[in-house]
Amino acid sequence: MAWNPGEDVVAVQRAPKPGGAGGAYRAFGETLRGLKTTFGRMLERPVVYQYPEEKVPVYPRFRGRHKLHKFADTGLEKCVGCSLCAAACPADCIRVVAAENTPEHRVSAGERYAAVYEINLSRCIFCGYCEVACPFDAITMGHDYEMSDYNRTDLIFTKEMLLAEPLERTPLRTEDE
Amino acid sequence: MSALSDYRRREQSISYSAEPAGMGLEQELMTINMGPHHPSTHGVLRLILTLEGEIVRDIKPIIGYVHTGIEKTAEQKAYWKVIPVVERMDYLAYYFNSYAYCGAVEKLLEVEVPKRAQYLRVIHMELNRIMSHLVWLGTSCIDLGAIGVWWYCFREREAVLDLFEMSSGQRMHTRYFQVGGVIEDIPRGWAERVKRFTQTMRHRSEQYSALLDKNEIFLQRMRNTGTVDEETLLDLGVTGPLLRATGNPWDLRKAAPYCSYEDFRFKIPVGTTGDNYDRYRVRHAEIIESCEIIDQALDGLPEGPFITEDRKVALPPRHELATSMEALIHHFKLVTEGFRVPPGEVYFPIESPRGELGCFVRSDGSSKPARVHMRDPSFVNLQATAPASRDTYIADLVATLAMLDPVLGGVDR
Ligand code: SF4
Ligand code: SF4
Repeated sequence: MAWNPGEDVVAVQRAPKPGGAGGAYRAFGETLRGLKTTFGRMLERPVVYQYPEEKVPVYPRFRGRHKLHKFADTGLEKCVGCSLCAAACPADCIRVVAAENTPEHRVSAGERYAAVYEINLSRCIFCGYCEVACPFDAITMGHDYEMSDYNRTDLIFTKEMLLAEPLERTPLRTEDE
Repeated sequence: MSALSDYRRREQSISYSAEPAGMGLEQELMTINMGPHHPSTHGVLRLILTLEGEIVRDIKPIIGYVHTGIEKTAEQKAYWKVIPVVERMDYLAYYFNSYAYCGAVEKLLEVEVPKRAQYLRVIHMELNRIMSHLVWLGTSCIDLGAIGVWWYCFREREAVLDLFEMSSGQRMHTRYFQVGGVIEDIPRGWAERVKRFTQTMRHRSEQYSALLDKNEIFLQRMRNTGTVDEETLLDLGVTGPLLRATGNPWDLRKAAPYCSYEDFRFKIPVGTTGDNYDRYRVRHAEIIESCEIIDQALDGLPEGPFITEDRKVALPPRHELATSMEALIHHFKLVTEGFRVPPGEVYFPIESPRGELGCFVRSDGSSKPARVHMRDPSFVNLQATAPASRDTYIADLVATLAMLDPVLGGVDR
């Protein structure tokens, strides 16, 4: 043995030989002891959720479907179309096309706005780098996790879909739950 | 035909046949296919077995069904964007994958990782180790017909995943580790919850022991099956619990401490003969040792920054973006281009739940790695399948394969 860590090693216990008189005892005694363990669990509360009737709550940091945000007071979009999120995305699933704001047509608070903002959720890996990258807190990861659909094309979320409130809210867990 | 690799050609040259096993024998040798979609191959592994009756005479594993090209993909991405990608190799050890990669890049960059980040990494990695061993125990027991243990293991695994969700926002593939530290500090109340979990986990693992340790059926299936001696394992390069089950205490956490592992007191469980029962016992004992490490790390969790303050590597804190132009410039640069890494190459090995997980990174001085390679323990350990299950019953092969614990996402990468 080339390397000896000394007393940091513990040898685990060997198994008794199967069969024989001990085996006969174990076939009954140990089976009963095992049953005691399993039956003991019957007294415990079930740990499963009755999904989909009962939604699984998520923690505040959970990264689900993205959301785009607007300013609450002016109603202008926070996103200025800078494409930083698209640059940060490891799955290359964000497409941003920016356009200039004009006095008649003001969409965002900055100079420019995102004329097209699409996230291809069938490619997204929910890493949250877009949220980290956005310097204006325009995009955040929401809490919705029910995103399956029948068509891949339906999974390309447009700006309107990302700005809209989700139909159903996902329950949140509190910190000491 | 010429486009096929040599490996594929050999694979296709195998004929499924039945032929007499020799003179005077009534048995025939039969070559059959097991997998890739077989419930007990733990992922998409295909085995070509040559059987004589119920005895396995030869075994050829065929891999490559979940090859994802992650190593190649990593070459196209900036360093920080590689982290969520490499995490997806061995899907039961994502914290280890990302740590091996981050550790390699940190070594190239020569950045100092704050003590608090190191401790947080240790806590998460050990929770991940517990989680991985729970999946191993649960799925192995299903293969042996003990479905109850599976439910129990997955209940505890659920608790670990909840902890991951709370601290890092995702249950799997969390990209919590970043180059230079961790991305966020742990939320309030998390530490207490982990404490509570380790308490429960110790209690629960006693319950697994009560169910399995002396169960006669379990003993019959485990003891003296799938035995491989230390010599063979060392020759094949097998590491981790498989090697420790033969009595060789090789554990990188002690042999070459990284990430502050030298601060913690823990033991290395070793077996004696290296049969399936020893493998079970070693991993089971490792769960308890991991609980010990987590408790010590939580008690000694130092205050301080959770990511390096080197602005060339780590993103500036969010609140600075609104006030400091300099922070904003760093932020733009890091997000769009990423940081540059000095040229060089490094190999960074760590102890994953399955053995030595090493990450090799070569840098050419640009902001994207020139080569990323993982030495995945599952891949190396899979070689032990043939020596462990040759001339045993086919039922023992299933048990042995479960006890080898290969994760095919890691094997194929
Ligand atoms: S979560 Fe990650 S993969 Fe998904 S859009 Fe954002 S950056 Fe891209
Ligand atoms: S979401 Fe943020 S990062 Fe992305 S384009 Fe809009 S402002 Fe820029």
